[in-house]
Amino acid sequence: MEPAKMASPKSAPKDAQVMAQILKDMGITEYEPRVINQMLEFAYRYVTTILEDAKIYSSHAKKSSVDADDVRLAIQCRTDQSFTSPPPRDFLLDIARQKNQTPLPLIKPYSGPRLPPDRYCLTAPNYRLKSLQKKVSSSAGRITVPRLSVGAVSSRPSTPTLGTPSAQAVSVSTKVGTPVSLTGQRFTVQIPSSQAAVKSATPTTPTVQNVLINPSLIGPKNILITTNMVSSQNASNESNALKRKHEDDDDYDNL
Amino acid sequence: DRQTLVAVLQFLRRSNLRESEEILRREARLLGDDLGGNVATVASSSPAVAAVAAVPPGKGGARGGTAGSLPRAAGRHLCRDPRGLGGPCASCSLGGFGGSVVVEDQPDVSAVLSAYNQQGDPTLYEEYYSGLKHFIECSLDCHRAELSQLFYPLFVHMYLELVYNQHESEAKSFFERFHGDQECYYQDDLRVLSSLTKKEHMKGNETMLDFRTSKFVLRISRDSYQLLKRHLQEKQNNQIWNIVQEHLYIDIFDGMPRSKQQIDAMVGSLAGEAKREANKAKVFFGLLKEPEFDVPLDDEDEEGENEEGKPKKKKPKKDSVGSKSKKQDPNAPPQNRIPLPELKDSDKLDKVMNMKEAARRVRLGPECLPSICFYTFLNAYQGLTAVDITDDSSMIVGGFADSTVRVWSVTPKKLRSVKTAADLSLIDKESDDVLERIMDEKTASELKILYGHSGPVYGTSFSPDRNYLLSCSEDGTVRLWSLQTFTCLVGYKGHNYPVWDTQFSPYGYYFVSGGHDRVARLWATDHYQPLRIFAGHLADVTCTRFHPNSNYVATGSADRTIRLWDVLNGNCVRIFTGHKGPIHSLAFSPNGRFLATGATDGRVLLWDIGHGLMVGELKGHTDTVYALRFSRDGEILASGSMDNTVRLWDAVKAFEDLETDDFTTATGHINLPENSQDLLLGTYMTKSTPVVHLHFTRRNLLLAAGAYSSQ
Repeated sequence: MEPAKMASPKSAPKDAQVMAQILKDMGITEYEPRVINQMLEFAYRYVTTILEDAKIYSSHAKKSSVDADDVRLAIQCRTDQSFTSPPPRDFLLDIARQKNQTPLPLIKPYSGPRLPPDRYCLTAPNYRLKSLQKKVSSSAGRITVPRLSVGAVSSRPSTPTLGTPSAQAVSVSTKVGTPVSLTGQRFTVQIPSSQAAVKSATPTTPTVQNVLINPSLIGPKNILITTNMVSSQNASNESNALKRKHEDDDDYDNL
Repeated sequence: DRQTLVAVLQFLRRSNLRESEEILRREARLLGDDLGGNVATVASSSPAVAAVAAVPPGKGGARGGTAGSLPRAAGRHLCRDPRGLGGPCASCSLGGFGGSVVVEDQPDVSAVLSAYNQQGDPTLYEEYYSGLKHFIECSLDCHRAELSQLFYPLFVHMYLELVYNQHESEAKSFFERFHGDQECYYQDDLRVLSSLTKKEHMKGNETMLDFRTSKFVLRISRDSYQLLKRHLQEKQNNQIWNIVQEHLYIDIFDGMPRSKQQIDAMVGSLAGEAKREANKAKVFFGLLKEPEFDVPLDDEDEEGENEEGKPKKKKPKKDSVGSKSKKQDPNAPPQNRIPLPELKDSDKLDKVMNMKEAARRVRLGPECLPSICFYTFLNAYQGLTAVDITDDSSMIVGGFADSTVRVWSVTPKKLRSVKTAADLSLIDKESDDVLERIMDEKTASELKILYGHSGPVYGTSFSPDRNYLLSCSEDGTVRLWSLQTFTCLVGYKGHNYPVWDTQFSPYGYYFVSGGHDRVARLWATDHYQPLRIFAGHLADVTCTRFHPNSNYVATGSADRTIRLWDVLNGNCVRIFTGHKGPIHSLAFSPNGRFLATGATDGRVLLWDIGHGLMVGELKGHTDTVYALRFSRDGEILASGSMDNTVRLWDAVKAFEDLETDDFTTATGHINLPENSQDLLLGTYMTKSTPVVHLHFTRRNLLLAAGAYSSQ
């Protein structure tokens, strides 16, 4: 038994010497010594997998022993699985030809940050805060803070601002039960509603006062900080529940 | 029966019974289609059907369409033109790019694979080859250099033919005997080749497959070619003649045979040189006109107001268009050739700043060399893989092997992210410094780390308006980050393999990426799929750069060629060969006329885009050139390399007095003067830091970046 773990080249196991020779043949001269171990591990694992597969194939074919055809078949199947190679050249040329035939799309002017539709962006929040339904005040007005969406204009009607109630059309909405499905960087904060400007919407009716966020936030300097241009009004409240059904799943939260 | 079908086809082909061959092939194709094109039949013995089956199943529809043209193209491709490969074959096969290449590639695959079946006696291969060698070595000096170009492609194709037909021992002895004769710059390829000893090995190697299916281009003068043809035909060396006809494309030119030095400068790529007609398309290399705009800003800007707002950086010797002229530069693309984003107010402000800085710019030259400021990344543990600096030199980004992207502020002004929406609604939007007020002071820091990639980040690029950052990584995605919120906005998935380089267009909105799948893709930030796919390289695309007018994209690849692509229609308009190793850096001159490229062979090559010629070779570096940059007015070319040096070259002198008359453009080569030493203005060594990135500030100070490596 080899007492030394760090074998010098002379006393390295034969497999390690073979691996070092392979590396040398392929022109790799500089490598850390652990590379040989990693390569050997890979080689053992690969060969074992292939041979096991080959055994299965040969027993399936009711052969008495594993032969070269089984091994070949095993290699082929594994190659398709684990080692994918880039598409062949004619395929690439074909799709290139198709793609390059369409003319370049025109660019809409002044459309803010030019990003793909929201579902292809990574701008959606990946968390959601649970609603507090058990509060005493049934008019658990949820005051949602406006979202800073750097993304495109969202399709959902907005949630309102938390703003000092100014003379403009800023009001706090009550939103009960309706999930705040969001696109854009938004977060909702639960505050027991005690705002004076609460409309007298009853808690049962999931009416949302859609509030127009100051469009003047689109400053003259063209930094588009939208907090959701709202276009739809109450009529779309119901659609809140219908849209994005897959995200309307905190009904179970509401008990 | 499949085998007999193929054998009959070959017999018909050999007997020049083309029409009957076409008919039989057409019917046989239908049969092949019915039997299904599943990939699993690769192991089948019939190479022609295997070739058909090797086409991925997804192409079924396309194949139906091209089936009709297949026999026609196959017939033409294999035409035995007694006059040799000069004229007709050139016109019928592999001419043109973009659209028609697919049709020719399909017959190529099946024809070539089945051509490998026409074997001569394998034991005689060595004799054929040594006979040819003897002939070439005994030929006249002036022809010998040109004819020696044949050795390498013939060697490889003969070897591959032996391997394909499973004559392992003959292949091995053939390799042993002749591989030492090849040129030194092919040694890497030969090493790969030596590991392909069985037919099964060939199937997995995409590069080798591409090599076999594309024609190796040789440029030989007419005299030398006549000599060769006479010899091959009279000695009944049919095997070599077959291979020459099947796999080589001999681009004949009239004129003096080239010298060894000229040839050595141009060869080296995986597919030989470039055909002359590959470089004949018109390229609009001029710059786009800067738009006029009034700059009603501060009073100090009055001097900027009076000009037309055109910071035209032209070389002193450029002929016609002055900076105040309204004439359209004939070499410039029309303004609306490709849609470009409109100029926003912030962009106009930026341009004004640019002009002001340009006025204070140092004019560089051999007497006035730039100062170099080096940014060393310490403690990067050799993980620094990509660097970029914004145009106004305010931020620097590093991409690392641990998949992070780190942004630093170079100026004393710290990096801030935008306030949350709550706070934003509180600020006064009408105030003058609203741009400052939207920034959240609590988040100010010098460094921002961006997490998101799942593999080493190989390329980074700032957008010209400094709002966005791109990064591409080994995980196959290109990510767009916002520099206002320092979060990731989009992940563009298209390459499924490592993406080696990415760059924003000089006008923003578009960006290009190139990767391991051998294509470069053009994207727009608001499309989740690429707009253009630039396919044609034989190996990985390692470097991608936009032309200053944003109408063209240059890609450098591991197949040792550089291709210039037209953004409008995706066509390849230029192919530049000459490097002997994968290309790692590209730089366009500011006037758009020239391209400088650097590769692992340590040479920097200069190319004239309009004529499609190599116009300079800068020797001096001893290791891979990873960074190239022209100064702001194009007078100096800076190159940074793995040999820990930055070298400055005189670009004005390199590009003057070019003999680009009709003769040289017709023959496609130029006499390169050996003036690297004259052009070298300075060599600056770092302690032990390879130079990864170079950047000229707007005032022509040179910034360089690299990671300190302690060995």
